[in-house]
Amino acid sequence: MAIRRISDIFGGRRHLLFSGLLLVLLFVFLLDLLVIDHIFGPFVYFYLFFTLLIIFYGIYPLYVNRRLTRYYWERTKRHRLAVIGLSFIIFLVAVAILGPFLTQDPTEVDFPNKNLPPVGFSAEQAIYDRNTGNFITTETPGTWHHPLGTDDKGRDMLAMLVSGTRISLQVGLMATLIAIFIGLIMGVVSAYLGGWADNALMRFTDIMMTFPFFLLLVFIVFIFGPSLWFIILAIGLTGWTGTARLVRSEALSLRTRDFIMASKSLGASDRRIVFRHLIPNVLSSVIVIATLSIPGVILAEAALSFIGLGDPTVTSWGLVLHAGQRSLDTAWWIAVEPGIMLFLTVLAFNFLGDGIRDAFDPRSQV
Amino acid sequence: MKRGGLQNYIIRRLIYAFLIAFGVVTITFILLRIGPSSPADKYLANISARTQNPARVIEAVEARYGLDKPVIQQYFDYLVNLARGDWGWSFSTSLPVIELIRRHWIYSFQLILLSMLFASSLGILIGIYSAVKQYTRTDYIATFFSFIGISIPNFWLGIMLILVFSVQLGWFKTYYDTGLPMFSLANLKALILPVITLGTGMMAGYTRYARSSTLDNLRKDFVKTARAKGLPERVVIGKHVFRNAILPIITIIMFDLAGVVFGGAYLTEIIFGIPGLGRVSFNAIFANDYPVVITITLIGAMVVLLTNLTTDIVYTWLDPRIRYD
Repeated sequence: MAIRRISDIFGGRRHLLFSGLLLVLLFVFLLDLLVIDHIFGPFVYFYLFFTLLIIFYGIYPLYVNRRLTRYYWERTKRHRLAVIGLSFIIFLVAVAILGPFLTQDPTEVDFPNKNLPPVGFSAEQAIYDRNTGNFITTETPGTWHHPLGTDDKGRDMLAMLVSGTRISLQVGLMATLIAIFIGLIMGVVSAYLGGWADNALMRFTDIMMTFPFFLLLVFIVFIFGPSLWFIILAIGLTGWTGTARLVRSEALSLRTRDFIMASKSLGASDRRIVFRHLIPNVLSSVIVIATLSIPGVILAEAALSFIGLGDPTVTSWGLVLHAGQRSLDTAWWIAVEPGIMLFLTVLAFNFLGDGIRDAFDPRSQV
Repeated sequence: MKRGGLQNYIIRRLIYAFLIAFGVVTITFILLRIGPSSPADKYLANISARTQNPARVIEAVEARYGLDKPVIQQYFDYLVNLARGDWGWSFSTSLPVIELIRRHWIYSFQLILLSMLFASSLGILIGIYSAVKQYTRTDYIATFFSFIGISIPNFWLGIMLILVFSVQLGWFKTYYDTGLPMFSLANLKALILPVITLGTGMMAGYTRYARSSTLDNLRKDFVKTARAKGLPERVVIGKHVFRNAILPIITIIMFDLAGVVFGGAYLTEIIFGIPGLGRVSFNAIFANDYPVVITITLIGAMVVLLTNLTTDIVYTWLDPRIRYD
């Protein structure tokens, strides 16, 4: 009963309600940006947008079609690695949201406590002795005050990793969202219009695909400068080509299928066919490709920060790695820890993506 | 099939590749134009320390590089110069860009070639073996390691290799020695860690593709026929399955150049200090030496274009089932 009531209020006007809330959000954002002068950063608005998107087009449909949800969950669950991946991603999200309130300031420099090893390890350090004027080598053990140790400026590793989690997830989600959005539009438009428009869009896709992804990214960052927002935008604006091709080929094969033919012969408008039949039917492959492209995006940002082309004002995993490479012989943990986080995150998204792909593809046997 | 169809196909592909190249060059020009700082600013950032009168330097630089002309004129100059091999002057190294490229391309080439050889030979072998032994322990171990190989960030793997094998064990130098002769065992030894760094991710990918491609082919009728004829399993797998499974993998290996190999080589060269094109571009970025950065980006795109073109043509020639009209 409860489902019926919610879907009555919500159902038919879902898109309208979503667009309305989006407009309100955009209005508040512009007001904040132009008039009140930045009460919240742009990221807060993105989170609100993302939450709305998830509720309207993720949680709500899953809740209404509970039978289908259970079916997908059963199929995904059989993939044990996918469940492990999903749990780790949920853990990361929790760390990204709550972590910064529980850890120290990741930018706080504390030179007397530099190069402290993680708890349970100890490291040799040369310390300058004021009385004798000599360097004396001492064995420094890790302390619980800095459970994962500190870097060469005495910054807390745990706090830096938590901050890096936040940055990586932000970059991964946002850039992928932008790329998927562009790819979806390009693919559907190209398949649906056909003719010269299809030709022009696909030739443009070919040109973009000819650029080596990372070289193009480096080139763009070189020209426009390294701010986190710009890097996200650059990854999003260059990473859509695969999605566009996939969506186009799927939409082309859908266009000649019976149910769309039937809908057309019943007099459905182009708009209805695109939004009601085409997009919902390509969405499952889009979700799979989105999940599988998040790790690539996270790695691209980390690689940029690692070679020193990332945003120098945010503490990302790549930036910590960059610092760690310089002190490999004195403090190995600075390079090891962010790399492990990066590795596990990428692994988790790959596991999850594989599981979702198998769950959405009825032909595959798990 | 018409006679001369293949020839026409090749000509059409060549024209198409030329148009794509034109598009690639145009996009770099547009990006350069809409960027916040003009090329003159970037030049100035290098010269201003040595001059008293920046305004006159800007004027001189703009006149020297034709930046005072209308944009359309500049665009045509850009195209003509690129076509003529006049790729500008690298002021951070005081060399013509083309000379700089000529000195350094070989380092990237050897790294990429060795890594691709390493990754494809090992990856394909493991993949086929794992498919033949499907659902055994060997298969699970291979699949698990290929997952790890795909997910491990290659630049981090490089650092870890340096940490373990160079810093802790002292087996290798932490930095690539440029004084080594190109074709020597010492050079090969110096390239071991970089090749593993760049090759592991690729190898893991090829293992997975080779495995699924082999599995597809193992179910096909011609395999049953071959077995029914009483051919030994060695011949069935080594000849019938292998030849069919290998074709799609070759495309993927060629296609990888754009997405994976160049990005990986760029990072690997930076980590190990190999003076290839990635390293040159990296140094040029921090010196604001933009003719070098553009040229290397364009070279990357052109190599991708040429490999795709070659793959397409060789493929139609290799596989008679592909239609080319």
